[in-house]
Formats: sequence, structure tokens, C-alpha cells
Amino acid sequence: MTDHVEQGRQPIWRRDFPYEAAGEDEITRREFARYLVAGAGVMAAGNVGLAIWTQLRSINTGEPRAIVALADVPIGDTHLFRYPTDRDPAVLLRVADREAVAFSQKCTHLGCVVFYQPDEDRWHCPCHEGNFDTRTGQAVSGPPTRPLGRIDLEIRDDDTIWALGAHP
Amino acid sequence: MRASERSGRASSALVLYAVILVAFEIFLLTVAVEAFQADDERLAWATATVSVVVAGSAAVLHRVLRR
Repeated sequence: MTDHVEQGRQPIWRRDFPYEAAGEDEITRREFARYLVAGAGVMAAGNVGLAIWTQLRSINTGEPRAIVALADVPIGDTHLFRYPTDRDPAVLLRVADREAVAFSQKCTHLGCVVFYQPDEDRWHCPCHEGNFDTRTGQAVSGPPTRPLGRIDLEIRDDDTIWALGAHP
Repeated sequence: MRASERSGRASSALVLYAVILVAFEIFLLTVAVEAFQADDERLAWATATVSVVVAGSAAVLHRVLRR
């Protein structure tokens, strides 16, 4: 049994018989299995890290601000803007006289830009033919499964449309 | 069956199991990224829990088969 007793990293027998064999530096099956298990451990740690990040990150929901004058957006027309930050493209649709909806323009499938199709009355993503409901932003067909990020709107007394916050 | 044969089979089985496990861990990682993008905390924690349990059980199995 002393063959397998290791002092440090080198077995005792190797100290007594210090020979080298061809292919000795090649990886063994056991070592390969050990590396795989270690890799699985690293990925598990990554998973836990992602869960913690998901839990702790603060999502910028945006500060209330004026977007556009109601008169500048005809009924059935859209207005492009950026919200909650300058890096977040968003689109507003005036659906009725004093009613408008707004969503993030990023498709929830792979992030392409969605646009409004008046003839089909839907938000459409041209990359993979994803479609979303006009008023709710829910995915109705195609690859996306999650709804578009919604932006709360308010039409104020001075006929200005305000964004109140975003729901990613 | 000789001890060396048995040991060889055990390490082969472990390698096969570990390859499947790593593939499963990669899948779990993609689910975690999806949960992160969707801001779905429940899914993220469920994925992390399964991932840790699977990796932990693999480590235990590795120790047992190494004996």
C-alpha cells in the first residue's frame, strides 16, 4: 500500500525508482474526470453568481419626463424616443384620442428593433418574425415568449405625453 | 473481474457521467442567463440550486469512485 502513499505530490515509489516513461505527461482518464467535475463546479458557482446578480441589481425604471406633445402624434401613428436612458430605444403609439401606449423597441427574443405594423395592428420584429399585441405588448406569435418592456404613460392636462417609468 | 479492470470501468463511467453533467451544467447556465435577462429571480435561484446539487453530487461520486 506504500505505493500509493504520496508525500507532497510525488508518490514514494517514484522517489525510489525515478524513471520516465513515454506518454507520462499525457492526461489520464481520472485527471480528465477531475477536470470535468471541477468545470461543473465552476459553472455551478457561475450560476449562483448570476442568481445573486439577478437578485441584487437595480433596474433603472426611469424618472418621469415629458416625451412629446399629443398634437405631434396623429392617431394610429408612432413616435420614437429613448427611455429610461439614452441607450434604450422606445416607441410610442397613439391608439385613440387620449390614449397611447409605449414599449421598449428591443425584441425580447434577441434584441432586434420592433416596429408597428398598422395593417396587421401589431408590433413586429423583422429578424425572426416575432409579433406582439399592440396594446399589451404580449408575444402573440414567433420565437419571443416574453412581452415587450412596457412604459407607463400619462397624458397631462397640457396635452403632453409623459413617461412615468419602465417595466423591463 | 480483476481490480484494475473494475477500476478502469469505474473511471470510464465517471468520465461519461462527467461529460453528461458538464453538458447539463452548460444548459443550466443558459437558463440562468435567460432568467437574468428576464429579471426572473425565482428561475435564477431554482437554476442555481439545481446546478449546485448536480455539481455537488458529481464531486461526491468522484470521491467515492476514486477510492
